[in-house]
Amino acid sequence: MKRVFGRVAPRGFARGLMFCALALATVLMLDAVVHVLLAQTPFGGARPGAEPQASGIVGWLLAKQSEFYREMSATIRSAKSDGSAVWTLLAISFAYGIFHAAGPGHGKAVISSYLVANQETARRGVVLSFASALMQSLVAVLVVGIFAWLLNATAKTMCGAERVIEIASYALIAAFGARLVWVKGGGFMRALQAQQPIPATAMATHSHAHEHQHAHKHGHDPDHHDHGQHHHDHHHEHDEHGGHSHGPVPSELAGPGGWRRGFGAIVAVGLRPCSGAILVLVFALAQGLFWAGVAATFVMGLGTAITVTAIALMALSAKDLARRLSGARDGGGALFMRGVEFGAAGLVLLFGVGLLFGYLAAERVTCF
Amino acid sequence: MGILTRRLVGMVLLAAALASGVLGIGSRAAQAHPHVWITATSELLYTEDGAITGVRHAWTFDDMFSTYALQGIESKTKGVYSHEELAALAQTNVESLKEFGYFTFAKADGKKQKFLEPTDYFLEYRDGLLTLHFTLPLKTPVKSRELALEVFDPTFFVDFKYADKDPVKLVGAPAACQASFQRPNDGTASAQTLGEQNFMSGENSNFGAMFANKIAVACP
Repeated sequence: MKRVFGRVAPRGFARGLMFCALALATVLMLDAVVHVLLAQTPFGGARPGAEPQASGIVGWLLAKQSEFYREMSATIRSAKSDGSAVWTLLAISFAYGIFHAAGPGHGKAVISSYLVANQETARRGVVLSFASALMQSLVAVLVVGIFAWLLNATAKTMCGAERVIEIASYALIAAFGARLVWVKGGGFMRALQAQQPIPATAMATHSHAHEHQHAHKHGHDPDHHDHGQHHHDHHHEHDEHGGHSHGPVPSELAGPGGWRRGFGAIVAVGLRPCSGAILVLVFALAQGLFWAGVAATFVMGLGTAITVTAIALMALSAKDLARRLSGARDGGGALFMRGVEFGAAGLVLLFGVGLLFGYLAAERVTCF
Repeated sequence: MGILTRRLVGMVLLAAALASGVLGIGSRAAQAHPHVWITATSELLYTEDGAITGVRHAWTFDDMFSTYALQGIESKTKGVYSHEELAALAQTNVESLKEFGYFTFAKADGKKQKFLEPTDYFLEYRDGLLTLHFTLPLKTPVKSRELALEVFDPTFFVDFKYADKDPVKLVGAPAACQASFQRPNDGTASAQTLGEQNFMSGENSNFGAMFANKIAVACP
């Protein structure tokens, strides 16, 4: 994986890939628009009289994953007497994970926005997606392992714990978004200032930005998160000097503590386990096949990671395409890209706050 | 392409990408997918003078959720749960269901009706499945020419499928009253009808109000 994503793809290939991503994005957008126009409101009752005919792809994915999910319980049951059924279980779990992640939640939106906001590489996008999906699986196993297996707690208690974890996760996403907005807002404002057309003040603005950057560096040095900011400022500085937007150079991203940067994103997104995994684990435990449930959960996470990765990479290619097309010839392109990053950072904040206050119904934890 | 054109194209693309993201999130909210499957039957209860007083539901949970709900519940005999042993769980069930309006929505002659808290509720355990029985009394019994009752979860965490046999019964209703029952027209409530053909026509995959099981009673 390292080798594939580290290599610079040939131009034609990259262009083709971007075209595909763009086409897919367009389809998804149309699909989303149709849904928004036709679907009932998530908050109230049904929209009266509306008989929405939702479009195919997403609906089909969700119907398909329901099917896989329902097959799981039967497969776990038969695995009790027939060991080979475990392989079937793993296959179903994997497929379920892939289809399931097409539904709401699972951090697709948060991870994608984070990648765009923070100028991350595709390689890092893959790692972040896989790490957060793995963590979701791990948390599910821990919740069921501790509450159901060790403590023999009731579903009500377990569900209460799930809710607490959920709220913590959403709060973390919101905090994470707020920090991104703060950092990227600064970058955007500075790019805006650098854009001033009067030559006499250009130097003053420039030196101001320089000072600002210094102050930030010193102020936050012990904080490992600062590396993201450092990188950003560095990149930004580049833009001001030459009026170019080069995009991140791989060596910049591999700087000290580079991998720790995404840690916040992994924890914020990965903290919240999937309700489906919890149900499967408890069911497997009751059948005396907890280990099979654990294996199924991790395979499910793998499937989820693949879907999340695909969407995250799509977001990155869309950004890359936008950057190329917006023209890297003058400062305008840089300003535009700072604006994009600022917007993406805003989205992360919006997701966090929305999830926290229930405006965005992700996969809701239902206790009853 | 000139710089200006390129920038314009870039901005349009980006706006499109952002819009798809935002709209996508908004719409996905209405597209949750079920983790709980309920097979339901409902009885509509009437007084002698022809007013409907409430609904008596029997909801059977799927085996995965039944097992999940039974986690940590002690029973004297392994694999056998009495109504008493399940009493606390039944109470948790009906209390939690309040938040969701008991997934039951009634209109009498077009006017929305309110329900009181459930009465006569208990859980029954049979063949590995839990069935929740409860009566949902109307706040005010009502006589109406047309009664519409919908049972569904607007967020689709729970998939309601009515039983094939006797899904809906009228109890003590005037002889002239006619009940009709309409299943949701999406394929997800009955995944076995899913096929390439109806997928292509898009009829199996609508989300939202179309999960509703619609019961209508006409009393001339």
